[in-house]
Amino acid sequence: MGGRLREWLEDRLPLADLVDALRHKTVPHHRYSVWYYFGGMTLFLFGIQVGTGALLLLYYRPSAAEAYESVQFIVGRVPFGWLIRSIHVWSANLMVASAVAHFFSVLFLHAYRPPRDLTWMSGMVLLLLTLAFGFTGYLLPWNQVSFFATRVGTDIAASVPGIGEFIVRFMRGGKDVTGATLTRLFGFHVAILPAIATLLVGLHLLLVQRHGMSTPPSVERRAAEDPRTIRTIPFLPHFLLRDLFAWTIVLALLAGLSTFYPWELGVKADPFAPAPAGIRPEWYFLWAFQTLKYVPPTVAGINGELLAVAVMGAAAAGAVLLPLFAGHNHGSRRIVVWIGTGALGFMAIMTWLSLRGGQP
Amino acid sequence: MPSNAGRRDLLNWLLGIWGGGVVGSIAYPVARYLTPPDVPEASMQSVNAGSGRALPPNSGRIVPFGSQPVLLIRTSAGALRAFSATCTHLACTVQYRPDLERIWCACHDGQYDLNGRNVAGPPPRPLEGYDATEQGDDIVITRRS
Amino acid sequence: MTRTAAVRLAVLAVAVALWPCRSPAQITVDRATAAFRDDVHGAGGLTCASCHKVDAAGQPRYDAMPRPSIAPMCARCHGDAAYMRKFAPQVRIDQYSQYLTSTHGKRMAAGEVRVATCIDCHGAHGVLRVSDPRSPVAPANVAPTCGRCHADPARMTPFRRMDNPPADWAVSVHAAALLKRGDTSAPTCNSCHGSHGATPPGVTDVVNVCAQCHVREAQLFRASPKKDIFDALGQAECLACHSNHRIESPSDSLIGLEKGAVCAECHDETGESAATIRTMRGDLDRLSAGLSSADAVLTRAERAGMLVDEGRAALRDAREHQVQTRVLVHSFAAQPFDEAARLGIGSASRAQEDGEAAIRELQVRRRGLAVATLAILAFLVTLWLKIRRLPVGPQDSTRA
Repeated sequence: MGGRLREWLEDRLPLADLVDALRHKTVPHHRYSVWYYFGGMTLFLFGIQVGTGALLLLYYRPSAAEAYESVQFIVGRVPFGWLIRSIHVWSANLMVASAVAHFFSVLFLHAYRPPRDLTWMSGMVLLLLTLAFGFTGYLLPWNQVSFFATRVGTDIAASVPGIGEFIVRFMRGGKDVTGATLTRLFGFHVAILPAIATLLVGLHLLLVQRHGMSTPPSVERRAAEDPRTIRTIPFLPHFLLRDLFAWTIVLALLAGLSTFYPWELGVKADPFAPAPAGIRPEWYFLWAFQTLKYVPPTVAGINGELLAVAVMGAAAAGAVLLPLFAGHNHGSRRIVVWIGTGALGFMAIMTWLSLRGGQP
Repeated sequence: MPSNAGRRDLLNWLLGIWGGGVVGSIAYPVARYLTPPDVPEASMQSVNAGSGRALPPNSGRIVPFGSQPVLLIRTSAGALRAFSATCTHLACTVQYRPDLERIWCACHDGQYDLNGRNVAGPPPRPLEGYDATEQGDDIVITRRS
Repeated sequence: MTRTAAVRLAVLAVAVALWPCRSPAQITVDRATAAFRDDVHGAGGLTCASCHKVDAAGQPRYDAMPRPSIAPMCARCHGDAAYMRKFAPQVRIDQYSQYLTSTHGKRMAAGEVRVATCIDCHGAHGVLRVSDPRSPVAPANVAPTCGRCHADPARMTPFRRMDNPPADWAVSVHAAALLKRGDTSAPTCNSCHGSHGATPPGVTDVVNVCAQCHVREAQLFRASPKKDIFDALGQAECLACHSNHRIESPSDSLIGLEKGAVCAECHDETGESAATIRTMRGDLDRLSAGLSSADAVLTRAERAGMLVDEGRAALRDAREHQVQTRVLVHSFAAQPFDEAARLGIGSASRAQEDGEAAIRELQVRRRGLAVATLAILAFLVTLWLKIRRLPVGPQDSTRA
């Protein structure tokens, strides 16, 4: 019976080719290969987001009058609503962490080198999309903290010269943060960003299949002397089962976090109340938030905030286009490692200072 | 000692069992979640206030609206009125006085007329109004936007 | 003296005499004129001559008016209905006749000029409407205005009066309501004493004064045995337990037989009232304890992320019942009091149950999690074993 079904499917779908290709796929196994798991982990968490997000969509209402109450309804009245909602929020945070770990591991292991430059660029855009998902989703419960954090966050865009005002209006759906902002960011969060992300993830995975997993230059060098340095394991079933192992652990972690540290509802947003003390964006934006606090109002005649935003923008652009400048020789790779370490250290210190409540 | 193949089969079988358990512990909450709860939507916009026949003319009763009390009144002429039952002076719960045909607060003798306007005593502001309509046998109270 | 020196001296004298500087009298007139610009009388078209006597040349004479003549002078207009109708048709015209019945008015009529008359409270030249918040008789300013004399020991001692009422009032709940919360319905000096007819209420009339706002308490008190007893004793009503000026927020501990409780000032362990007092205090304490325990458990549930709407509604109910119970203290009888207390305790325990149910639900979730985690752990262990026993181990790169 199962055999007949498989035959029927194989006559119509290229299943045999797919399984064959996967059966031949191998993954290098060396001292750094544990980092290979972070890409799949990010994909797994994205899948969790899509699943729990779709479930939340059944009860959530994206209007200023009903958003907060609908989340309250999900958490209080819908069976296991508390679980779905807390998993969605925790998984979002874990996904950002996993994506950042994936980014840094690819950077330090120099997997961005040709022919994987397009893979890198699509991945960088996916990282930025992940941050955008976080930013747009944060407002949706419509509580005081997220309302004011969105206002502060969108205000930063105003410092861009010329088009700054337009960007702010584009993000807010108007001059101020209102119900229009909620609906607009909701549209981005559930339709536009997922559509773009799906296309890019498809491209990213296709490219990974095409080029296989990259081996770091240091391992390649050692392998040239000693062939036993690089061993490979088949993707099916070895690597996949290990992937499954890691994913299951993360699933248990999500369930535990949701039960013992459920995400709170907060207080419903009131635009006319004074901003609560200590407004902060999500943890993954804290380093930028803190940097902007330290920048002096003007630097050599230029608006300080504008300068900082410009530098961060330039850094992001540089990161996206990295394979065009670097990676092809040892010297440029050394520079990349230094810059990467500096960036990681800077972001870590800024985040720590922000959490400490440091004021300049 | 079971052969390698036997042990492999046992392992696969166990994997299937526990894997089924994991899948079950995902599928069960999701299935329960998909089933609509008894109260199908958050009652922050409107609330069923019970039977219309249980509210004769020139009488009132307090109805919970979420966690806030609402005073539902049927006037002598038969019209339905509904107001927030929280006195605007010091937040005591008001009541309907059929002898005065007014809304009265026992705490400091504050009075409101049947339009919710504060007409006597300390209350500084009128009571917030709600819409009350009869739908069939039931009375439905809705927040005004 | 030489002729030159004498001439110089004369010139100097004339210059000094004609120098344009003002005499003290002129300074007062200037200040009054400046204040009059803001005056409600000035806005109505009155001038200095309307009140001050005018001499033969038509110029006002600004001599100080004798104090007893001030009130009759103001009453010339403020007691004339036809005249006042031209400016403010609704304003009262009986202020002077009320003044004559007041302690201030009676003493002034008997020749004592050290008491208040119109200008002492309303001002003379910068008179503002009562509704103007800058006016010395606007509700928030009445107590300091009365306090100018009634809080001054130098002024009060000759009349053998205390000087503490304004200071006492300032720390009362009424002052807090009026000054901190801006509740203009809260009483100040004139609310209880009257303004133009200011006189302290008689001992047997106090309950009527308080009853202006505290209707329920007054009704209960009048129907209780205490009213006749207090009247017979000449004991001031409400004041006996609550004081007159320094009215503080009453607490449950006012009821009781121990030292510090108000009841203990007249009652003791003997007598049948002792049982009633003890029941009342016990009920109040139980109610208060029930409310705070319910509040604590509901807050714990809310902090843990649970929704407890019904519990909060029940707690609100319980608070209402607590207010009613405390009001029913004034019936000084066990019966309707006990009923209300029991309703309150019932609501509080419903609130408590709702909170505890929410906390129990948290435990259910954790048990569910434990089950799921066990399944996941078993799966992980089995999967690990499977991975270890995979038929093909890691290979040489040369063999792919």
